[in-house]
Order: sequence, then structure tokens, then C-alpha cells
Amino acid sequence: MTISPSITSPERRPFRLVGLLPWLFAAVVVGYAMVVGGYAATVVSFALIYAVFVTGLNLFMGFAAQVSFGQNAFAAIGGYGSAVLTATYGWSPLPAMVFGIAAAVLAAAIVGFPALRLKGHYLAMGTLAIGLITYEITVEWQSVTQGYLGISGIPPFGIGSWEVTSDRGQLVMLSLVVAACAFAAARIRRSRFGRALSAVAGSEEAATALGIDVSRYKLMAFLLSAGFAALAGSLFVHVVGYVSPEVFGLHMVIVTFTMLYVGGIGTVAGPLVGALIVSLLPETFRAFKDYQDLAYGAALILLLIYAPRGLASLFAPRGRS
Amino acid sequence: MADWSYIPQVLVSGLGIGCVYGLIGIGFCVIYNASGIVNFAQGAFVMLGGMITQVLFSRSGVPLPVAALIAIAAVAVLGVAIERVVVRPLWNRKATMFVMILATLAAQIVIERLTLIAVGDQPKTLPVFTDRPPLMFGSVAVGYQLIWIVGGSLAIVGLLAAFFGLTRTGKAMRACSINREAAALQGIPVSRMLALAFALSAALGAIAGILITPTQYTAFNVGVPFAISGFIAAIVGGFGRPFGAFLGGLLLGLLQALAIVGFGAGLKNVAALSVLLLFLFIRPSGILGAAK
Repeated sequence: MTISPSITSPERRPFRLVGLLPWLFAAVVVGYAMVVGGYAATVVSFALIYAVFVTGLNLFMGFAAQVSFGQNAFAAIGGYGSAVLTATYGWSPLPAMVFGIAAAVLAAAIVGFPALRLKGHYLAMGTLAIGLITYEITVEWQSVTQGYLGISGIPPFGIGSWEVTSDRGQLVMLSLVVAACAFAAARIRRSRFGRALSAVAGSEEAATALGIDVSRYKLMAFLLSAGFAALAGSLFVHVVGYVSPEVFGLHMVIVTFTMLYVGGIGTVAGPLVGALIVSLLPETFRAFKDYQDLAYGAALILLLIYAPRGLASLFAPRGRS
Repeated sequence: MADWSYIPQVLVSGLGIGCVYGLIGIGFCVIYNASGIVNFAQGAFVMLGGMITQVLFSRSGVPLPVAALIAIAAVAVLGVAIERVVVRPLWNRKATMFVMILATLAAQIVIERLTLIAVGDQPKTLPVFTDRPPLMFGSVAVGYQLIWIVGGSLAIVGLLAAFFGLTRTGKAMRACSINREAAALQGIPVSRMLALAFALSAALGAIAGILITPTQYTAFNVGVPFAISGFIAAIVGGFGRPFGAFLGGLLLGLLQALAIVGFGAGLKNVAALSVLLLFLFIRPSGILGAAK
């Protein structure tokens, strides 16, 4: 990685005000959407769902400095798991979501075990292949996924008779989920597990020499990351009420990488900030709908070249340079 | 179940597409050998080769061979442009391999979208180069386009072998692939070799795209599947071995053709990707063993 994370545990710093800025920004954006409601609430809801996904991506890529182009596969499993079980088999959303996430983590364990032995471009391509295979399956397995048509009529998220149907209600629910995810990420980073991942990111050989079971920690980070992705996929289908293969296609890979790099890879606040900025910016240029992917791609290239540590790193100089 | 009497016919067409995968795979290897970079924008070259030729031929009325030559040259220039604008700045900043992959993938998306805006999303095709009924060998029909593809690919592989084996520049590029520092110490302009590798690789991609377009179609989004097949070819052959990649391409083309007979056309990409995973998991160094 371009960042070489410090191997020692991140110390608590007395000066924390600047570190709060990204959270403040997120709170303002979510608060604004909550007040205005309607379309703004929808856009911010999507951003929060992406934030869950990117938080997971960040665990694997930012904390552990591994590469996966295939996390969209697990979002697809989580999303389709929820969609099929609720819309086709009439399950209620919560067990469907849990089942979807469990299936995604299981799939991640099955493919992760051999895939994570790979390094460099082999790993990149292997994971990309996993994402593409999943996409093809969602297109071709029509008896279950209804192919390109997609599945509609997915119920909104709820527990028992309590359902989240209003825009604002969804926003509150998603904000809570994102806050929980960010909290989990922050805790993980400070934990023994997080420090082990930092060590793996710094040097696998050195980590091994320190007695860290590198392949086990990499697999654990991969499973966690897949769990986050599946959660995001499941949240998406319940919020939108519809799913099609395109939702979890290559577009998702590019968008989420842009979010990760805009926000700042390896930081705790980065995924949320990145997801909000990347989701909101195109909305201010809505006249240029055709140019969106073009803009994402170009922005990503510029960021990689000129600001590989992203925007959150400007707010939170955690002494990692 | 499939009718197995098709098999020879299917294998023949698999051979054609396999040659194209092979050329794309060689493109990956040429850049990888010169720089250690895996260029995921390779698919854009393939797409643009067919697309530029098509636009020149049917909109501007340029004769097909001239249009093809212009397209190859234009795509080669684009290859150098990508090297200058995207790869070189990252290279100078010592970006990691992963950042490089992501940046070239982003470049692929940018080119795709620009093409979409420029020519629209309708699939386009080219006429076959020689418009005659196919030759019959027993019950197997061999179209002239297939002969063009196989013949053209073999000619290019031959030319490449001569280039790498006989010319000064080709030998310099091989020196870079063995050890860049040592090559630089011998006075080989390593960075110019990188630009040249991109030009060569882009031209190979464009040729592959032009050869295959008459038998299929081209659209703004055909690049990524071709790039992935080319990459699989390179892995199967042993990454970094250009001629291994061609062999890998042939093998992949044949396997994919059989998969279409066995499981239907919808799953041909799944079959190809499964071959990739199988190789990655069991024998990542490929049939011939990776170059490094």
C-alpha cells in the first residue's frame, strides 16, 4: 500500500478536535437529509448503504492491505439472499438478512481459503473473477433470480410487526447501522486483531516472525469484509424494494473504490466521508447523467496519482506518515 | 444434451476465438515484461480497434484495409497516451501494483464511457474480409474470416518472435524484462521501452479487435470480457511468457467452445472464469511456468 501503517497500536492523542471534523460533516449531511426528506433522504440513504460496504472493504484493504475486486459478489449474495427469501418464500426480513449474510460469509470462506494464498495481480484477478462469476450467475440462474428482470416486491426492513417504511425512518435506521459499523471498525483497529492486521499490512514476513498467523488473520479480515458487504447488499434490497444483477456489477466495484480513496483508505471515518461525497457530487451535476462513470473513473485516476491518502487523511493526520 | 457431431465444427470456431484471446494475452505479457505492470485497460484497445475501424469504414467510407491500419496506429498512440498520463505519474510515485491495476481499470472505464458518448450504445459489426462461401472439409465448414484470424495471428506471432529475437529494440525489451536495473546500467532507455511496450501491446489489442469484429460485433462494453479472457490466456500459459499466452488462448478458446456446447452460451464466461480460478488455485504458474 502507499500508506505504510504504523505497526504499533495507534495511541490516543490528546488533540482530537480535527479528528471530529469528518463525523461532523457526516452528521450535518445526514441531518440535512432528515430535515428536507424526500429525494435528498433517498440519496443519503444510498450513500449510507455504500458506507457499510466500503467500511468492510476498508477492513480488508485499508487495515490489512490486501486486494479484493470481488466484494460485490458478497453484496450480491446478501442482497439476493434477502430478496429471494422474503419476496419468493415469504420470510420476514431479519432472518432473511441473517441468512444472506451467513451464506455470504460461508461463500467467502470457501473461496477465500484458496484465493488468499494468491498475491499481487493473481489475487486481484482471482477476486475480480469471483465477482464476475457471481454476476453471471445472477443473470443466468433465472428460476431463482429472474435474470435481468430482477426481483421486485421486496418488503421494507422491519422486525415483527414494526416496519421501516418512511424515508426518514430508513435514514434513522441506516444511520444507526453505519454508526455501529464505524464503531466496530474503530474498535477492531485498536484491538489485538486490528494490530495484527496492521502488522500484516506492513510486512507479512515480519508479522510471521512476530508469531502472527498471517493467513488466518487475512482470512478473518476477508470474512468480516464479506459480512459487511452482504449486510450492505441486504440493506439495499430492503430499502429499494427491488434488485437486479446490475446493482452488484462492475459499476459497484469502481464506485466503491472511488469512495474508499476519496475518503481515505485505512482510516475509520474515510469510508463514510467518501461514500457521502461520491454519492452527493453527481447529484449536483444531474444534467450530466451519462458522464457519471466517466467522472468516477477520471476522479479515481487523479486521486490515485495526486492524493493517494484521500480526504479524511487531511482531517485526521494520525501521525502515520 | 448436446449433439456431439458438432464437436469438430465447434473446435474449429473455438480455435479462431482462441487466437484472438492469445493475441490479447500476449499484449498483457509485453507490458508486464517491460514494467511488471498488469494493464487492465487492455480491453479498451481491443474494443477501440474494432470500433475505430468500423466508424472509419461505414461512416467515412474509408476502404477497410486503410481503416484498419489507421485504427491500429490510433490505438497504439492511445496506448502511449495512457502510459504517459496514467501509468508514468504513478510509476514515478512508486505506486503499488494494486494502485496501478485500479488506475488502469479506471482508464478502461473512462475510455468505455467516452466511446459510448461518441458512438452510442448500438452494437456494430464489420463485413468479413473475404466474402466467399466457407470452405468445406468433410462436414466442417471453415469460413474465410477464420482463416484470416488464424493466419493473421500466426503471422503476428511470427513477427513478434522475429522482433524479440533479432532486432536490437526487441532484445532491449527482453533485457528489461529480465532485470530493469541491469538493463538501465547497460544504457537501455528503460522508460522509453515502457512506452514502446504500451504501443506494441495496444496495437496487438487493436489487431485482435479488428480480426474478431466481423464474426461477432463490437460495442462500447465488449472490452472487459475480452481483457479477462486475454488475461486468463496469459495465466494459463504462464504469466510473462508471450508464446505461452498464445497457447493459453488457444486452449481457452477450445474449452470455451466445448462449454458452449455442453452448458449453453450463457455460461461461457462462467466457464472461462472457472478455468482461471482453477489455474490460480492449483497451478498459478500456468502450463509452462511463470516467467519470473
